[in-house]
Amino acid sequence: MPDNQTTEFAELRQLLVGPEQRRLEALADRLDGMGITPAELADLLPEAIALRSRRDQQLGRALAPTVETALRESIRRNPREIATAIFPVLGPAIRKAIAETMASLVRSINSAVEHSLSPRGLKWRLESWRTGVSFPEIVIKHSLVYRVEQVFLIHAETGLLLCHVSASDLKLPDADLISGMLTAIQDFVRDSFRPAEGGTLRTFSVGDHTVHVEAGPAAVIAAVVRGEAPEGLLRRLQFALESIHLEFATALAEFSGDAAPFEPVRPVLADCLETVLAEPGTGSRKTWLTWALPLLLLVALGAGLAIRSSLRWRRAIAALDAEPGIVVIGGTRDWGRWQIHGLKDPVARDPEAVVRAAGVSVAFLGRWEPYLSLDSAVVVARARKAIGAPADLAMLLRRDTLVLLGTVPLNWLRSIRLADRVVGVGSVNVGELALTLPPDLDSLRRSVATTLVRFDPGSADLTGGASATVAGLAASVRSLVAGVTGAGAWVRIELVGRTDPSGSDLTNQDLAQRRIDRVAARFREAGIAEAVLVPRPVATGRPLASDDPAERARINRSVAVQVTVASRSIDGGKP
Amino acid sequence: MLQKKICMVGVYGTGKTCLVQRYVHSIFSARYLSTVGVKIDRKEIALDGQSVMLLLWDLEGRDDHHDVNTSYLRGAHGLIYVVDGTRRETYDQIFEIRDIVTAALGPIPSAVAINKTDLTAEWKLTPADEAAVETHGLHRVRTSAKTGEGVEAMFQWLARSAVGGNGAAQ
Ligand SMILES: Nc1nc2c(ncn2[C@@H]2O[C@H](COP(=O)(O)OP(=O)(O)OP(=O)(O)O)[C@@H](O)[C@H]2O)c(=O)[nH]1
Ligand SMILES: [Mg+2]
Repeated sequence: MPDNQTTEFAELRQLLVGPEQRRLEALADRLDGMGITPAELADLLPEAIALRSRRDQQLGRALAPTVETALRESIRRNPREIATAIFPVLGPAIRKAIAETMASLVRSINSAVEHSLSPRGLKWRLESWRTGVSFPEIVIKHSLVYRVEQVFLIHAETGLLLCHVSASDLKLPDADLISGMLTAIQDFVRDSFRPAEGGTLRTFSVGDHTVHVEAGPAAVIAAVVRGEAPEGLLRRLQFALESIHLEFATALAEFSGDAAPFEPVRPVLADCLETVLAEPGTGSRKTWLTWALPLLLLVALGAGLAIRSSLRWRRAIAALDAEPGIVVIGGTRDWGRWQIHGLKDPVARDPEAVVRAAGVSVAFLGRWEPYLSLDSAVVVARARKAIGAPADLAMLLRRDTLVLLGTVPLNWLRSIRLADRVVGVGSVNVGELALTLPPDLDSLRRSVATTLVRFDPGSADLTGGASATVAGLAASVRSLVAGVTGAGAWVRIELVGRTDPSGSDLTNQDLAQRRIDRVAARFREAGIAEAVLVPRPVATGRPLASDDPAERARINRSVAVQVTVASRSIDGGKP
Repeated sequence: MLQKKICMVGVYGTGKTCLVQRYVHSIFSARYLSTVGVKIDRKEIALDGQSVMLLLWDLEGRDDHHDVNTSYLRGAHGLIYVVDGTRRETYDQIFEIRDIVTAALGPIPSAVAINKTDLTAEWKLTPADEAAVETHGLHRVRTSAKTGEGVEAMFQWLARSAVGGNGAAQ
């Protein structure tokens, strides 16, 4: 159809059904405009929301800004109402969240505290030791036990007392006054310090009492505690307060001075009193102590023993190292069994005796390889052992010369000289030794020494009696010399020639010499070596004494024999 | 037991503390110890065979530096405005204080104590002034903390009004 025809048709239709069409349009308008009546909407809305919510999130998204605005406005207008409404719901949730994060931290802190010996713990232990009071009592004395003495439930708005419990032995007539004052204090703090929104006074101290205050929107719980309240008490108070808000919401809101509806709260408050009388940690700490203390003592004892053992070990090794003839090469010490090995000279002291002498009494296993020590003490010991020297015979080593001091029997001299074969001894010096003669030689020496060969005045001739005396003397001296030189010692036979005082010194001197010569000749004839004979013509020089002048003259016309035995060469002497 | 919170408000030195002391302990002291913050006392009374515990909050008086602290007033069941009959300004300020209190608390049973009636020589209020109190919707009682005049009756009236709820006269 062309355009002009369309226009003509519309005009025609206008003419024919115009009024009806207008009514139809009005009707359609009305249907579109009015849609659903509010009454119909009220019926359909919940179902519609449910339907749409099931389909997608659109409705929520669309409503969110409006709801947020409404909520904000509502809170702004009446915060108390909202707080009261959500407190019982939100409280536990927040508390739980905080409790969970705190719990692990608290646990680790607790265990750290319990498993360390804090200075405080040591101080208490010291005090316990000093005063004789048992340690647990000291712990209790020092605030590990606290007591919740009173619990108040206070109406937040009026400060009036809703319920009050106190430890059975406490008389408290002023609970209602305290309740009022607590509230007044809260108000005072709030007004004076203007803490951040919702901030309240949580704790304050009066003497050795602490008051813990938990504030809710409609009621406040306050606990009066002697000593140090644990975190657990505060949670308990919070919990009690929340449950009271939940259960007594209406009563709290409608409260106008009649506390009777709050009587059922009493057991809840009493619960705060009785369950926290004793410190919960005390038990576990005590059990920890019961095993830790003995363990600690054991460890200390073990450490002490180890230190002692180590000290003893070092002392023993040092003593062995210092001991002549012992060289420590190594050792082991495990579980109390000692093993030491090294070198030991056969004459060295017993190692156990050495260790004992160092003040360490311990039995140990020694493995010693024999060796020969050149330590002078060991050399001396070796020589001493080799010659079977008696204790009173002193020996010392000068460089490699063994020097002997003391008195020994003549017949030891040979074996003593053998000491130069001992390892470490270059030569033996017996020169300082005094010798004792065996009985036979000694009696010979004595008889020789007391025998005089007498002469007539002015004569050097051996008369009959004198000749026999000289013969006897010669035999004795010969035996004596043979005995002494045979033993390795030196002997000296001094012939002392004397005269009486008559005559000149010159002639007397000559006379004394001639008398000696006569005797010496007879000695030589008897086989006595010339070398051992030493002439001593003293003439009147060293007279023999006598009270009788005649006898004195007689005994001094003589030749006497003096025997000297020595361990080394003497002037004129020879082995 | 029923408890009621009653607050004493007014200008400093009007006798708030003295009225409470007279009522609770039956004592009077001429010494003036200005109250700081709030002091709480209590008295148990019998009302129609029922005992009621009155918690009496004696607030610090209003002066140039401290206005009435309304947070102490929260939840109060009754109010006593105290006027010193020998100081006219204490009377004038009652109406300002009342506006502050009412804004914070809403309407609650209230009485005006026209105090120190024993000091007739220094009296500064006309009978018209005293009557005007009632036209402002406040219960009026002439009191003397010194002689005890009107004190018992005033507290009795307020206790009854507080227990009876808002039906009592304003
Ligand atoms: N003569 C007489 N003196 C009174 C009376 N009441 C109070 N006073 C005296 O007035 C002074 C102030 O009394 P208070 O009761 O301490 O006054 P207050 O209103 O508590 O004062 P603030 O605590 O500062 O607000 C004191 O010296 C009282 O002895 C009364 O009824 N008669
Ligand atoms: Mg006062």
